[in-house]
Amino acid sequence: MQTAGLTKRFGQRTAVDGVSLTVPRGTAYGFLGHNGAGKTTLIRMLLGLTRASAGSASLLGLRVPAERAQALARVGAIVEEPSFYPHLTGRENLRIAAAVRGPDTRVRIDEVLHRVGLDKRAGDRVGTYSLGMRQRLGVARCLLSDPELLILDEPMNGLDPGGMLDVRRMIRELVEEEGRTVFVSSHLLDEVEKTCDVAAIIDGGRVIAQGPIEELVAGGSGELVIECDDALRAAELLAAESTVHDLRIEHGALRMRLLAPEQAGDINARLVTAGVSVTRLEPVRHSLEERFLEMTTRLEVAA
Amino acid sequence: MSRELTVARQMISADLLRLRKKRGFMALVLAVVMAPLVIWTGYQVIEHASNPAAYGPAGGINHFVKMLSLLGIFMGPVAAVLIGAEAGAGDLAAGVFRDNVLTGRSRMALFLSRIPAALAVTFGVIALGFAFGLAVTFGFAGGIATPSLSLILESAAWLALANGVVCVIAIGLTSLTGSRPGTITALIGWELILSPMLVQSTSLGSARTGLLDGVLLFLKPGPLDGAPTITMAVAVAIAVAVLWAAVLPALGAWRMQTRDA
Repeated sequence: MQTAGLTKRFGQRTAVDGVSLTVPRGTAYGFLGHNGAGKTTLIRMLLGLTRASAGSASLLGLRVPAERAQALARVGAIVEEPSFYPHLTGRENLRIAAAVRGPDTRVRIDEVLHRVGLDKRAGDRVGTYSLGMRQRLGVARCLLSDPELLILDEPMNGLDPGGMLDVRRMIRELVEEEGRTVFVSSHLLDEVEKTCDVAAIIDGGRVIAQGPIEELVAGGSGELVIECDDALRAAELLAAESTVHDLRIEHGALRMRLLAPEQAGDINARLVTAGVSVTRLEPVRHSLEERFLEMTTRLEVAA
Repeated sequence: MSRELTVARQMISADLLRLRKKRGFMALVLAVVMAPLVIWTGYQVIEHASNPAAYGPAGGINHFVKMLSLLGIFMGPVAAVLIGAEAGAGDLAAGVFRDNVLTGRSRMALFLSRIPAALAVTFGVIALGFAFGLAVTFGFAGGIATPSLSLILESAAWLALANGVVCVIAIGLTSLTGSRPGTITALIGWELILSPMLVQSTSLGSARTGLLDGVLLFLKPGPLDGAPTITMAVAVAIAVAVLWAAVLPALGAWRMQTRDA
């Protein structure tokens, strides 16, 4: 999935501003942003539900909206909350969905119900389903056409912890065991960090960072924590180093910010040479949430 | 081509499933058609049983003619409006329209599948009423005349036309407005109040040939039952009916293409 300079304007307001994304095949891709950041608008453009004001997009190598029908035949998507006919059972709802998708999909109904763990409740009316079950039925509906790409808009919204865990597991299985690509939009940073391999962060309609989760998390402050036998002496030694900033002692350990992560080796050598015994040296790993807040706050301050 | 036909057949069957499984709705539609027939027939049977000299048998040709009006002009079209409105906006109301659009299936195909499904349900309900009416016509005829086979067949075709056109109009208008309550209120108001008034307004002259009810009364087979008739050429009547059946569905189909999913 690829977008280049994708933009959507509503009158004077720009909801999505020149977004360029590349979603690698076979990954779980998180699309992070606050509510109202432009996530759903971008998804609606990708799926041809609304026209882009500028830029281009393609799904599985097919241009959208020009080749939308061919592309969507290989894509499963849930935009906002999945909706069903409440008076029909889960299986009947899938029968209706299968009819629209094509004759080959009907034979997959039992398989996808089993896949999402709803085979035992498939005969119950959807009106009696919990939100988590409806989310899973929504994924089952997406899987009817055996899609290569799934686009899930806020799939964990409103779910309890158990429901979130189910959806998270399901997404990982879809990627790892079945080789599908899953694009997940969410404002739940922790869930994206646990579920996805790659992520993009959108704020105010603009992508402010994207890449593998590990890089996004590590590419933050360049903070280092060091535990040693003499923290005061170590602090004195490092205070003179030009590459070390924000040096302080917290809970008996040294914390500092380095200009570049690879300077950690030099710091270690400097301390050991001076006779300080280093017992722990570790880059501070921020959570995605901290990185997200750091980046969006930085932008707010700049604005 | 055969794949497209299979898809079309499955989509129609899916729409049919969606309609017939809405049990409360189906009970209401059946009640709208059957309750007046049953109450009216029961009343006539009791009347005849209590005073055969003053009141004729409940069945026979008189019952048949009045039953046709009930099924083709009044309660039948009300049921057709309810079914058409449900078929036209059921997916929008449930929020499933967006999912259907996301499959890449053409919106026109999504719209067109609604029509045969809604017509099948409408014809099924009307057929039930017609079967009941026929049973009363022959079962309680006493000594009076009964309709011929050709009149019965003509009447069945006329009922299909009358209710089918109204059902298709309801599908079109609901698809156009996206509102079931609005469409039902407007069309039932038109069918039961405004249109009958206009048909009886002789001051409108030949303009009444443009009214669907005027056309249907003109085409209604069998003896007259006191309802006003408007004289026109059969070709004109058919053209007006076709126009009614085409314009609103065309607008509904257009709105389906442009509607924000």
